[in-house]
Order: sequence, then structure tokens, then C-alpha cells
Amino acid sequence: MTIVGALLGLAALLAVTVGVGVLLRWQQSRPRRSIPHEVVEPARLGAERLGDRATLLQFSTELCARCPGVHRTLSSVAGAQDGVVHLDVDLTHRPDIARHFHILQTPTTLILDRDGIVQTRFGGVPSRDVLELELARVTGEAAHA
Amino acid sequence: MPETPRPARPRGIDPRGPRFGAAITSVLLLVTAFLGLTSGPAAQTASFGWFAYQPLAGVVFAPGGEVLRQRALDPGFIALLVVALLFLWGVVAPRTTPWNLLFRTLVQPRLRPPTELEDPRPPRFAQGVGLLVTAVGLVLHLLGVPWSVPVAAAVAFVAAFLNAVFGLCLGCRLYLLLQRLGVLGRAPAA
Repeated sequence: MTIVGALLGLAALLAVTVGVGVLLRWQQSRPRRSIPHEVVEPARLGAERLGDRATLLQFSTELCARCPGVHRTLSSVAGAQDGVVHLDVDLTHRPDIARHFHILQTPTTLILDRDGIVQTRFGGVPSRDVLELELARVTGEAAHA
Repeated sequence: MPETPRPARPRGIDPRGPRFGAAITSVLLLVTAFLGLTSGPAAQTASFGWFAYQPLAGVVFAPGGEVLRQRALDPGFIALLVVALLFLWGVVAPRTTPWNLLFRTLVQPRLRPPTELEDPRPPRFAQGVGLLVTAVGLVLHLLGVPWSVPVAAAVAFVAAFLNAVFGLCLGCRLYLLLQRLGVLGRAPAA
């Protein structure tokens, strides 16, 4: 291959990589709301109970660089509100849970309403503002229901 | 408020360290891919096919040795070998790698202190993934498979670049995928 051809190939590689990165990052910051109706059983996850108004359900693994940071964010968001509980489930030894919730990346965060129904899903690292907005939506809906 | 207790973790590291290393690694991998495209079997494919790597008249009675030596002296192969050895270094002793030393002595003192520390195990796992990808490329190249050096360099480049620029950890996703397939994580992790 000529030098020009090689440089063109590398430029294409770089462009595709940047495109993939932008796409993945854009997807991560977006909450997903069209989720099949599901009531989460706390006992299955090894928790005693869910929050009275909402639950922030986080899935982590041992080898997950971003999980501890998200854990801190979710803890402080949940701690600032009454009736909101943060659960962090380690999937490292629980592939059954990972399969059940179709989790392909950690951290993944689900927002459950007061009945334990999955309302919102975040893949990756959610921004604190979007998270609080979604939480307000879920708890507000539950109050009106 | 109730909070799930987390197991004790090893001492945290500055998360910008591995990303700094990934930035240098991705540049090295880009150079490797360039060398692989311009000098290796891929370069010959365009002109007269990789049969050019079959033993020449003089070495007909010693097939293998001379060919292997030629393939091992390929600039792309040598560059990929260097990167693979750096990955190996990162798996065996992450704190002593050249990029880590460079980061801690020259870069980190000029930055603000880290806002949070990171578990050192995920970046180490990612170095292992990089080692695996580059090692497969090296072996396939020695076996005479064309394009193995540039393709392996390109795959590793994508992962290193996404980590350096976007902070995305492909290794973490791979870990979860392997675990869901039942390859990893059933036994207690080391």
C-alpha cells in the first residue's frame, strides 16, 4: 500500500473512532423511558425493601471504573430526599441478574417508582441534573397516581 | 439512609493516569498501523500478493526459518511487539510503567488534585485486553496472515482512543459480556 493510501486508511479509522465515541457518549447522557412494564422484587436483589417514593437501582461490577463515582452521586441524591433509596447491586457473581435486566454495560441505573415499577433507565454515567429531573418526574407521577 | 456496603477496595489511583497512558498508547498504535500498512505483507498485497513471502530460491531447503526471520524484522511487527510488551508491563506492574512514571513526575504535579480516586483493577484488566489483541496480531503475522498487524493495531487503537478522549471503558463492557456468556466471574474473582 502506498503512503497516501495508508494515511487515508488511518484518517478513516480516526474518523470512525471519533464517531463511535460521540455516539456512545450521547447515548449515555440520555434517559430511556420506553421500558417493558416490570415490577422489581427487592428480595431477588438481596435488598430488604425498596424506597417509599422511589428507588435508584444501580448495577455495578468489580472491574468498573465509573461505578464508584456514580455510586457517590446516587447516594447523595437519594440521601437528600426522604423516601428515596439507593441500591447498588454487584453483578460480578450474579450473571443471572445481568441477563434478566439485559445489562450490557456498568454502571446501569434504573429509577423505580414507589410500586417498584421500572420507569427510567440510564446506561453509563448519568449527569446529576438529568438524574434529579427524572427522579422528580417519577416521584411526581407516583404522587398523582 | 440505607446504603449497600461495598467490599474493601485496593488503594485508589488518579483516573487521569490511565487516560494519559491510553493517549500515548493510541499514538503508538496509530504509528504501528501505519508501518503495518506501508511495510508489511499488506504493502505487498497491493503490488504482487503475499506470495512474495514464500521462501525464495536460496532458502528452499530451509523453509520456515528465513521466512520467520523476515516476518519478525518487519517494522510493523516490531512496533506492535513494543506496544504488546508495554501492555504486558501494564498488566504485571502498572505502577512502574514509563507512562505512569511520566504522569506522576511531570503531569500530575501541574494538575489540580483529583476529585475522586479510581479502582486500579479495571485499567489493569483493560491492559490485559490490549495485550491479548496485540499478541493475537503478532502470532497471526508470524503465521503469514496478511493485514494482521494493521488490523490488531487498529482494534487496540479504537479502545485506547475511546478511553483517552471520551473516558469510555470498552474493557468494562467486554468483561460484562464475557461474564454474561458464562466465561468469567462465576468463580470468586482474584
